[in-house]
Amino acid sequence: MLPSGTFNTRPEQDMAIVRTKTQWLLLLLGLAFFFTLGLYMPGDWLVWLIILGMYVVAVLGLHIMTGLCGQFSMGQAAFMAVGAYTTAVLCTNYGLSPWLTLPISGIFAGLVGLVFGTPALRIKGFYLVMSTIAAQFIVVWLIRESPGIGLDTGGVYGISVPKITVAGEGLDYVQFWWLVLAVVVVMTYFAKNIQRTSTGRSFVAVRDNDLAAEVMGVNLFRTKLLAFFIGCFFAGIAGWLWAHFYGWITPAQFDFRLSLWFLGMIIIGGMGSTTGAIMGAVTIRLMDKMVDPLADAISSAFPNLSVQVAPALSLIVFALVVIFFILVEPKGLYHRWERIKLYYRLHPFAY
Amino acid sequence: MGDVLVQGLLVGGVYSLIALGFVLVFKASRVLNLAYGEMFAILAYFLYWLLDSMGIPAWLGIPILVVCGALLGWAVERFAIRPLMNQSFLALLMMTLMLGFLLKGIIVLVWGGDSFVLPFTPTGTIDVIGLQIVPAAAWAFVVAILFFLLLTVLFRYTKIGLAMRVVAGDHTVAQSLGIRVRQIFSTSWVISGAFAAICAVLVGMVWMVTPEVGDLALGKGLPVLLVGGLDSIPGALAGGLIVGVVESLGGYWAAPVREIIPWILMLVILLVRPYGLFGQKRIERI
Repeated sequence: MLPSGTFNTRPEQDMAIVRTKTQWLLLLLGLAFFFTLGLYMPGDWLVWLIILGMYVVAVLGLHIMTGLCGQFSMGQAAFMAVGAYTTAVLCTNYGLSPWLTLPISGIFAGLVGLVFGTPALRIKGFYLVMSTIAAQFIVVWLIRESPGIGLDTGGVYGISVPKITVAGEGLDYVQFWWLVLAVVVVMTYFAKNIQRTSTGRSFVAVRDNDLAAEVMGVNLFRTKLLAFFIGCFFAGIAGWLWAHFYGWITPAQFDFRLSLWFLGMIIIGGMGSTTGAIMGAVTIRLMDKMVDPLADAISSAFPNLSVQVAPALSLIVFALVVIFFILVEPKGLYHRWERIKLYYRLHPFAY
Repeated sequence: MGDVLVQGLLVGGVYSLIALGFVLVFKASRVLNLAYGEMFAILAYFLYWLLDSMGIPAWLGIPILVVCGALLGWAVERFAIRPLMNQSFLALLMMTLMLGFLLKGIIVLVWGGDSFVLPFTPTGTIDVIGLQIVPAAAWAFVVAILFFLLLTVLFRYTKIGLAMRVVAGDHTVAQSLGIRVRQIFSTSWVISGAFAAICAVLVGMVWMVTPEVGDLALGKGLPVLLVGGLDSIPGALAGGLIVGVVESLGGYWAAPVREIIPWILMLVILLVRPYGLFGQKRIERI
């Protein structure tokens, strides 16, 4: 529902991502805010922001795959690992420039995604989830064991990744944040824009009813595989950022738990909405940031508890938040936000 | 070679035992309980606490554990699964996974990284006609076979088992026949919880009890389940034995391959026969 006094009189207005002048102003102010955020954030929050940015990219990919096309994936972290290891192996062992490996990581992750997406042509729903769980374990295993067949990925111990350089100098945290911000903005625009194209509409048609979609002339084969490719492409880009930010990657970083975090993020944010996916990522990351002080407080209050209070609490808090959303607000934060907007626009009337 | 085969067969028995716990709930309520692994993991820790800190003897500890398992199963159904009746499969799947996270978090919070061996675990190996056999695995195998027979009888001949099958088929039909659907759901979870307690004892005997012991349910139980067929009790047994033997042979051929074999078997089955070797052909085809 549009705010009072705003009317869409032309098709372009109805299609626009940014509709009104106020929205343009807010968008530019917001971008300026996030751009300068790197300059005055304390160090640990800056790292938090950078990691949030990577998660947002990966979650947007999952949103296109799961939220738009209905192909549930519990293997997003594995596809991220493919992207991260592609750039690591190419840069470290073959001396390629990190800028060159950016598209290669994305595309290679997308191709691996296609391989594990092919079961989607025969099975759907629950059974597809099982095959993506298999993908998660098989990919991580392959990366770990590939030194055995001559591809040097460092095995269990991991591999070092060179820093990204601009004009001969490595990026510091603030500059890396700008890089992450640029990637996030481009990817968000891509995710928003795809919903306006015929590809995006065919994704939604396949999600809602794949038989009806096929009857209407949507090519199921092409659409499902494309959804997998795009979703895993996003994961690959996120993996590229991850590899160059940490500088050292191991297979254990991309475990099944991370995949479930991504899925939890889109469930909390609300399925099928780009804004929702971002909201979910921010919420979960904020919760996780709050765990540390809580863990300190608990371990000083109960000193005879085990030493691993922080990882345990992180699991418990995440589980409780997702359970709360599944039980109380299954449509997610974005739905609640829409309700609030509607209430504000209609006030003082009920409808 | 013979040792490898027999060892694979025995370990396969444990895998079937884990998979039977999944089948039990799935057959009655069409819910795949992915929290099952963490359920038996926390029960194993609880047993350790009973035996070690409370000094309760094993013959008393195990029955107490079974009762606690049944209570846990009841609580999970009542407070987490029942509010989600008729929701999408993803909501249920995520719910059970998140319950698993919750239980795992509690394990790590209370017991930390502690790992231990259950005190009544038999040690050494026994020699049967020239084959070296680990007694704990042999016990687990025997118990798995026993429970397979027990569950077959339950679902085929008892009133409650038949009611469970009707409920799984169609809620409305079941209700019009006078079956209390909610009670049946609850019962199946109680039985599955008690079953998790048995699993906890045997899995704790065969492998050590570590915070990661619950991952077995996902890493082995799920492939076994899909190989055999989600709603088939003979399938769970056959799937477990197949996965156990193939895994063992693969590990004999090249050690790193061992842990990935269940997943590859599962992917192949998903592509060729998605309803599993023994499952009912009710999957929606595209």
